[in-house]
Amino acid sequence: MRTPDSPSIIARAQAKRRDQLLEGTILSFTTVTHPPKGFPEKPRTIGLIELTNGKHVLAPLLIKEGATPAIGHIVLPRMMLSRVNEQGLRIYNVAYELTERVRMPEEAERQKFPGYILALTGPSGVGKTTISKILTHMLCDFTAGVPIVTSREKKEGDDNEYQYVSVKEFERLRRSGDIVSWTRIPSDTEDRFYGYRASDIASIWKEGKIPVVITEMHLLQGLATHFGRRSILSCGLLPPGHSKRAMLSQLLHRMRTRGRETEEQMQERLTNAKADLRFFDESRDLFDHILVNEDLDDVVQTLKGHVLALANV
Amino acid sequence: MQTDVYLIGTGQTRFGEWWGKSLKNLMGEAVDAAMEGAPCSALDIDFIVVANMLGETVSGQAHLGALASSFLPHRPPAIRVEAACASGSVALHTACALLESGRAETVLVVGAEKMTDAPTDAITTALMGAADGELDAPSGLTFPGIFGLIAERYMHEFGLTREQLNIVSSIHHRNGVSNPFAQFRQEIPAESIGASPLVASPLRLLDCSPVSDGAAACILSTKFPGKFRIAASQMSTDTVSITERPSITSFSATKDAVVRAFEEAGAEQNDIAHLELHDCFSIAALLALEDLGFAEPGRGIQWYEEGGSMTVNGSGGLKACGHPVAATGVKQLIDIKKQLTASGQRWGMTHNFGGAGATCAIHILEHAYA
Repeated sequence: MRTPDSPSIIARAQAKRRDQLLEGTILSFTTVTHPPKGFPEKPRTIGLIELTNGKHVLAPLLIKEGATPAIGHIVLPRMMLSRVNEQGLRIYNVAYELTERVRMPEEAERQKFPGYILALTGPSGVGKTTISKILTHMLCDFTAGVPIVTSREKKEGDDNEYQYVSVKEFERLRRSGDIVSWTRIPSDTEDRFYGYRASDIASIWKEGKIPVVITEMHLLQGLATHFGRRSILSCGLLPPGHSKRAMLSQLLHRMRTRGRETEEQMQERLTNAKADLRFFDESRDLFDHILVNEDLDDVVQTLKGHVLALANV
Repeated sequence: MQTDVYLIGTGQTRFGEWWGKSLKNLMGEAVDAAMEGAPCSALDIDFIVVANMLGETVSGQAHLGALASSFLPHRPPAIRVEAACASGSVALHTACALLESGRAETVLVVGAEKMTDAPTDAITTALMGAADGELDAPSGLTFPGIFGLIAERYMHEFGLTREQLNIVSSIHHRNGVSNPFAQFRQEIPAESIGASPLVASPLRLLDCSPVSDGAAACILSTKFPGKFRIAASQMSTDTVSITERPSITSFSATKDAVVRAFEEAGAEQNDIAHLELHDCFSIAALLALEDLGFAEPGRGIQWYEEGGSMTVNGSGGLKACGHPVAATGVKQLIDIKKQLTASGQRWGMTHNFGGAGATCAIHILEHAYA
C-alpha cells in the first residue's frame, strides 16, 4: 500500500507546482516522526504555509541545523527531491526554506528587541577584520569588537581579537548555552570552531555601545536566531569583481599579500569562500547592506554612517 | 425528522486486535448481538446499510452490502456507504433517510472495520485516503500530521499548553476502565501522555486513537416503537483539504451540522446529558466541544479541567475504546443509549467526523420515557 503514484497522477498533482514558487508565511507546522511509505524514512517537518497570493499549501520545510520553525516565520520556495517512486521516478516538489524574517506585530517585535549588533559577513580575505578594527578604533565611544572564541591554534598576525580555548572547553561552553552562535569551518589541517558568547555581547550593550561581530553564514544565522533578525545590522562584504571568478582571484591575491596562511590553508579558504559567495545569493534576506570592498575608506565611511544613525548621534 | 425513527436493537464486538476474526466475522458478530435484543425478527429487516472504509485496501474485500445481507435468511437489499471516519454515522443518516422516505420500515446498520491485518505504515497511508490526494498527501503528511498542524496552531492561537492537553486522553482512559467493550481499560496518568513518543509534533502517541478491529450494529425502525427515538440526524461537509479553509482551529462542518441538529430535535446545548464526541486525536476533542457550542473558542479544555453536568465520552471515546474507523459512528449511538438508560436522562448526542472534519454527522437520541 503506497501513495498512488503513477506518472500520470504525479504529473497532474504537479501541474500547478509553478504557482507555489512564492514567498510564504508559516501558519502551522508539524514534524511527522514516521512519514508514509515511499518517503525518506526520517522525521519530516511539514508546514501549512500561506503564500503571498493568499493560497495555502502543505509542503516540507527545509530547516538548517540549529534553526527551529515558528508560526509567523517567512519561508522561501526551493525545489527539493521529495521521494523516489516504485518505478524509480525521482519526484521533485516545492519545499520551503526557513528565513530569519518573522511576520509579527510591530509591538510584539519591539518588546523582544535586545539591542543592535553590527555583523560583518564575507569570504576570507575580503577585509572584515581590517574594517572591524578601523571602525571600533575610530568609533570607540559607540562600538566595540566582540572577541571570537576559537579552538584553533594561535597564529602569527592574530591580534587580540580571539580568545583561545581547547576543543573540549569550546564544546562545554556551547552546551552550557554560553556560546549562542558557533560554527565549525571545515578543514583537513585542523579542527577549528568559532563562536560568540552572549555574555560578551550583553556586556558591550551594558556599556551603551554597539557590538561588532565578524561572521560567516552559520554565525550570522545563529546570531539572528538567538537575538532576532531585527537586532542584526547585517552587512555583507564582497570583494570587487564582476564575476565570481574575478572575486575569488581577488581574495587569493589578498591572502597571498597578507601572508597569514600556508598555500594549503589558502586553498581551503578559497573553497569556503565559494560557499560564502553562494550564501550571499541564496540568503539575501539575512543582509541589510551588501558592500563591495573596492575602496576601504568608502566602506568604512558607509558603515560609520550606519553606526552613527543607530547610535542616534 | 419526517417520521418517528426508533433505535430498537444494538450490538457490538469488543474493539481491539482480533487476530482470529475477519471483517466478515466481525460484522456477523455485531449483527447477531443487535438482533438478539431487538423486538423484531431477522425477517423484519427490509434494508441493510453497511459502513466501511478500508475493506479493499486491508482485507481485499469490497461488495460489503451483499456480504452483510448474506447473514440474513431472506437476503434483503443492502448498500455500503463510505465517508472515512464518519462512515458509521453517515450510514445511520442514510438509514434515517430510507425510513423517512418510506422505502424501508426497519433498517439494519452495520459499521465494521478490520485494520490490524495490515502493518502500521500501510494503515497510515490508507487513512490518508481521507485527506485530499492532490493537495495534502504529496507533502508526505499523515493524519496525525494534519492534527499536529491543527494542535500547533491551536496552541499558538489560544495558549493551550502541553500539560493541559495531557488531561484529555487521561480522562478518556479513566472513563474507558468501566467499559467492557473498550480496547484499553487501564488508567493512564496525565504525565504519561506527555511522556509518550512523539508521533507528529506536538502530538504524542497517547494523543492518538489506536488502530483497531471491530464492528457495531444498530437496528432502526419506524414500525417497532421503542424507548429511544432518533430526534435528529444531520450531516454537513467542508473542503477535504485543510489548505482550502480559512481556519484550521475550528471545523465548520461540525458547526453547521449541530445548528441543524438542535433545530430538528427542538433541543439546545443545555439539554444534552451525555455527549460522545470524535476524539481521534486529543486536540479534536477540544475543537469539537467548541464547535458544538459547549465551550467558547479556545476554552474547550475547561470541560476537562473543571468538569460539567454533561458527561463527555463516558465510554472512553475513540482513545480508550479504539477506533475501527467505520464502526465508531455506530458504536457512539450504542454508548449514548446505554448512558441514557443508566442515567434516566432525556437527551444524548453523538458527534462523528471524517478526515479533518470534511464530513461531520451528528445524531441526537431522545430517551422517550425519561
